[in-house]
Amino acid sequence: MNSIWHIIVTSTPQIVAAGLKYTIPIAIISFILGLIFAILTALIKLSPRHGWFSILKAIAYFYVWLFRSTPLLVQLFIVYFGLPYLKISGIFPNGIQLDPWTAGIATFSLNTGAYCAETIRASILSIPQGQWEAAYSIGMTKTQVLRRIILPQAARVSLPPLSNSFISLVKDTSLAASITIIEMFEVSQQIAAQNYQPLVMYALVAALYAVLCSILSWLQGYLEKRTSRYIKPIN
Amino acid sequence: MIKLENVNKTFGDHPALADINTEFKEHQTTVIVGPSGSGKSTLLRSLNLLEHPESGQYHFDDETIDFSKPITSKTVLELRRKTGMVFQDYNLFPHLTVVKNVMEGPIQVLKQSSADAKKTALDLLDKVGLADKAESFPSQLSGGQQQRVAIARSLAMNPEYILLDEPTSALDPELEAGVLRVLLELAQEKDSMIIVTHNLEFARAVADKILFVENGKILFDGTPAEFFKQPTQRIADFLAAMTFTTISDKAES
Ligand SMILES: Nc1ncnc2c1ncn2[C@@H]1O[C@H](COP(=O)(O)OP(=O)(O)OP(=O)(O)O)[C@@H](O)[C@H]1O
Ligand SMILES: [Mg+2]
Repeated sequence: MNSIWHIIVTSTPQIVAAGLKYTIPIAIISFILGLIFAILTALIKLSPRHGWFSILKAIAYFYVWLFRSTPLLVQLFIVYFGLPYLKISGIFPNGIQLDPWTAGIATFSLNTGAYCAETIRASILSIPQGQWEAAYSIGMTKTQVLRRIILPQAARVSLPPLSNSFISLVKDTSLAASITIIEMFEVSQQIAAQNYQPLVMYALVAALYAVLCSILSWLQGYLEKRTSRYIKPIN
Repeated sequence: MIKLENVNKTFGDHPALADINTEFKEHQTTVIVGPSGSGKSTLLRSLNLLEHPESGQYHFDDETIDFSKPITSKTVLELRRKTGMVFQDYNLFPHLTVVKNVMEGPIQVLKQSSADAKKTALDLLDKVGLADKAESFPSQLSGGQQQRVAIARSLAMNPEYILLDEPTSALDPELEAGVLRVLLELAQEKDSMIIVTHNLEFARAVADKILFVENGKILFDGTPAEFFKQPTQRIADFLAAMTFTTISDKAES
């Protein structure tokens, strides 16, 4: 028992350090990039189908379909281990070689972006048509209506599902262990290999993920309260 | 002045507006009446281009829009700046406070400073009797109060015409009275207004001109005096039906 306690006390700082250095930055950077992809994709999917927009629309549909229809781990493997073999003479004579950090962030952001795009598209559609008409009536342009009237309301609607996506992403960064990133799960594997205590180590890392995600859930609750001040409370 | 010539609008194969010809003079209040589904909203919404009729001419002062041609977004924006719209269900921006609802257009569209916009907004809220609600959110207001904010919001843009689509249809009679009082005041100040309403008593009190629309056609275009003297059988029937609605409403309550 004493030795287990000892393992926990000595391993926790190492795992937390890996979390601060890799897990959290990868999750945050990927999510921010993912949100940008998601908003662009959602707006393209909602745009009227004419001119060169139909090409963008086709790309947006393909992107969302591709990343939602294949496993994240396989996507990581293709980007990190597969792309170096994509040799196109003239453009990539030596294949596309990405360092683990870039490959990880590219894959995670594109993957989460595909899911969030659907969330954001649905939230924009959930804002009543009358809001568009009222804003158009005071002479706003489409961009102004989106930025000032629709997106702020859609942001509130999409907060719970987007928080879900972010929490999933935080846990999914454990897959980065497979492309040589020494994040929380990888560190716990390395320690387990030395001390032959896989149960203790994996339970410990699970608990640390749980702590991290609980903090995020609490943050979600706080943000929901902040952004819902204008809504009539349901009694 | 607003003038429509030979305006047509169909939804699918249903003609919502059929060869509309009429004028809306400045500093006058025009009331549009007619049965449900007759095309009143479509007519009003065509005036600020929320609807785009397929054919006809739309004259606004010296500007002419040919509906059969594509309309540039510049023309659309210019025209919408000259017209204000008030909707049946208010459509206030729920995430903005009352005063910010009124300031939004002046700041974003007219590029006024926040201080100027706020001053105008507070004056207008005072005018519609809601100065004390400036910092409330729309969800904290009654329907009648929300509609008065919506009127202030459209006045803040200083439009040449204010278009109102059944502004009191969603309101209880007590709340309706507060909104009608504001509109009557605007009419007396000689604002240019076009109002769709089912309230004939109000129409009689406020209108300089009445349009009676049915099946997308204008069946009457004249003064309230002529209109209520029942110039045609159809209008007499309509007035009788409306009166019956009022009586049966009273019997129910
Ligand atoms: N977006 C639309 N798509 C299809 N049909 C429509 C659309 N808008 C209106 N219509 C049809 O056009 C006709 C005129 O509609 P409009 O809303 O102008 O009537 P209205 O006179 O305002 O009626 P109400 O008094 O009920 O508001 C109706 O038959 C309606 O069903
Ligand atoms: Mg209508």
